[in-house]
Amino acid sequence: MSKEARPSWDSPMQFVLACVSYAVGLGNVWRFPYLCQMHGGGGFLIPYLLMLILEGIPLFCMELAIGQKMRLGSIGAWMAISPYLGGLGIASVVTSMYLCLYYNVINAWSFWYLFHSFQSVLPWAECPVDVNRTGYLEECEVASSTQYFFYRETLNISSSIDENGGLHMGQALCLLLAWIIVYLFIVRGVKSTGVVVYFTATFPYVVLFIYLIRGVTLHGAWNGVKYMFTPKLEQLANPQTWINAATQIFFSLGLGFGSLIAFSSYNHHNNDFEKQAVVVSLINSGTSVFASVVTFSIYGFKATFNYESCLERMRMLCLNSFDLSEESISVENVTAWISHLNITHPESFAAIASKIEHCSLEAELDTAVEGTGLAFIVYSEAIKNMPLSQLWSVLYFIMLLLLGMGSMLGNVTAIITPLADIKLLSHYLSSESINGLVCLLCLLLGLGFTSRSGNYWFTIFNEYAATLSLLFIVFIEVISVCYVYGLRRFERDIEDMLGHRPNWYWKVMWAVVSPLLLFSLFIFYIINYIQGGTPTYQAWDKDLGRSVVKEYPVYGQVFIALLLLSALSCVPLAALHSLCRRTQRGTQIRQHRHA
Amino acid sequence: MLAGVLLLIFLPPLVAKDLCKDSQDGFKVRLSIKTALGEEAYDWNESEMFLFRSTLAYAMRKETKNDTYDITNILVCNDTPRVSFMFVVTSPGQPDQLIPKEQVEKAVRENKHRINNAFLLSDMTLEFLGIPPTLSAPIIYDTEPWLIVFGVVIGAVAVGIVALLMSTVSKKRRAKEKAAGLSEEDEGIVKENGTALSSFGGKEGAYNQAFSNDDRFTKL
Repeated sequence: MSKEARPSWDSPMQFVLACVSYAVGLGNVWRFPYLCQMHGGGGFLIPYLLMLILEGIPLFCMELAIGQKMRLGSIGAWMAISPYLGGLGIASVVTSMYLCLYYNVINAWSFWYLFHSFQSVLPWAECPVDVNRTGYLEECEVASSTQYFFYRETLNISSSIDENGGLHMGQALCLLLAWIIVYLFIVRGVKSTGVVVYFTATFPYVVLFIYLIRGVTLHGAWNGVKYMFTPKLEQLANPQTWINAATQIFFSLGLGFGSLIAFSSYNHHNNDFEKQAVVVSLINSGTSVFASVVTFSIYGFKATFNYESCLERMRMLCLNSFDLSEESISVENVTAWISHLNITHPESFAAIASKIEHCSLEAELDTAVEGTGLAFIVYSEAIKNMPLSQLWSVLYFIMLLLLGMGSMLGNVTAIITPLADIKLLSHYLSSESINGLVCLLCLLLGLGFTSRSGNYWFTIFNEYAATLSLLFIVFIEVISVCYVYGLRRFERDIEDMLGHRPNWYWKVMWAVVSPLLLFSLFIFYIINYIQGGTPTYQAWDKDLGRSVVKEYPVYGQVFIALLLLSALSCVPLAALHSLCRRTQRGTQIRQHRHA
Repeated sequence: MLAGVLLLIFLPPLVAKDLCKDSQDGFKVRLSIKTALGEEAYDWNESEMFLFRSTLAYAMRKETKNDTYDITNILVCNDTPRVSFMFVVTSPGQPDQLIPKEQVEKAVRENKHRINNAFLLSDMTLEFLGIPPTLSAPIIYDTEPWLIVFGVVIGAVAVGIVALLMSTVSKKRRAKEKAAGLSEEDEGIVKENGTALSSFGGKEGAYNQAFSNDDRFTKL
């Protein structure tokens, strides 16, 4: 019987690029700059880099080592470590499945925005006119044109999670396209993925560099960058800063999904994964800092633009109410004039007092946004004010797409690798068919996110599907490797692969520091959930033109609990199942012996 | 006699001013020339006012299709340094009769584009308070542009997938043919040591189970 050799990467470079492409994702662009701003600017780098050394690099290296040694996907690898730990692999696959379902919806939105950038006037730059052509649509007036485009034209969002609507056909088409492209990238497994990652890992840096140059040359960009990098070291005393740094490192590297185990299972036995782990982790963190410089220069531009528009509006208000000549008030002395007019014409001033706004650059810079709001609303607002906005829009959404697609490669590989390892499946179906079926299933389930209330379900998945479960999974991973499999045995395996034993740094981190950190994060999350009371979400109110806080209905809360439990319970359930099978087999063998 | 002549001379403008100031049928106009034109802004003087009055007279002529409207029918008052003023329109037949507000509004709305262009201004910078601007109609496409780009991309991707799948299928077929072809060729080739060298043609050697590393599973 001849065994078909396991497919492998064409070169170690492909593997490194695949890991970079997977780890460098949307979180580097839209979560890290937010955290930086919330937790003291430049000072946040201290806990961030410390956590990278304490938990990021060691855990990353550990997952690569497991995959490279076992040469199987997550389920097979954990079964090999211990027959009772198959559930850990299953939990990883389940979590990856949830992630795949909702992550590609973001790519669908990026496609939607990208295709809409090919117009002479960007559709989110202006409000659409109403029926009489006397003014703009009310919802757009109350909100802004970029918010209107995102909530109404892109999502067609309903006002609460209870109101389902039909599917948004444009979104459904874009989701279909996103899944077809993912299938194209993974259809031949590592062979096709290995070629694609040359592009998906490197091109985002090209775009980021172009945006860096564009960003720092924008008017007012320097305000944003200065604001971000001024360290507010008192934030370091806030425990939330350290917790956020730890969770950001953890989620940014994509640990626990099984993607890293899957990728490294295709490596040659002697590949130097230790060095590669350090390199990829450093690249990931470096990209976060790089992206936040770009984001903050864009923030600075937007804040300055809004501030100067505010001043201009106040100037017009004063000129029009007091019929002064246009040259008398300039943008610089508006505030002085306002106080002057308040003193000299108190009655007329009182009449317009309600319309006076207090223009503040600080207040504009303080509006920190993260997540889809940053990527699709704030950025597109800044882009529409740039010269040649269509070009910048296309570049930006291509970058978002590459980052998202690169991460999707890892997510889907985490599912198809364990499936391909199952002998029964690969006997009946070719790998192309298995991959196609996985993509089809994810597409059909993901269509639910394109309905009118889809964004609310998306938020549920985003916040609950892959947070607590991952912490639990990686914690069990570290404990199993160090104490069930045995740290000495693991050391010997690494020596076998690399030629030298891991030094004390790795051993201390794996055995003591990382498990402690993970356990405390896990406890913190649970306390947070319990203390937070009923979970709430932001619902878009079209009359007010902004989001309002609403509580999840009962079925929503039950769904959240199911999401969490379905991944967490895999570990104990599979262990129990394994135990039952062994005791059964044990009794069977004893029966045979007696017979 | 002199007093009567003086009265006759000064009465029309006085009456005109009264008509303009106290009227309900007037509109306030506001121009923001410096904001619109910056460096190339022109000064607001009597000639520009003359132009304004004549464009309004033109607008009234077009709307009422009555060619008797003249610049003297447009009365202006309350001039401010802001460059804002009130105006009223008098009927050409009876100079003390004012044209009602609605008609003036209609005339201005129909011809706003021409009035704006006469002054190199836009709807934002030449405002008639109380007359909302007519915004430009949205462009209606036969096919939305985004669908076109979408069609191109999805077509390219579909071609890519089909090409990849076809190459996989043809590769498998070729491998099968080779295996079938080899088993036929074996008969006619000189064998050395009982093995046909050509049978090692495509493969990298046979997998010898004796040296496999299968005991990497933890034994409990």
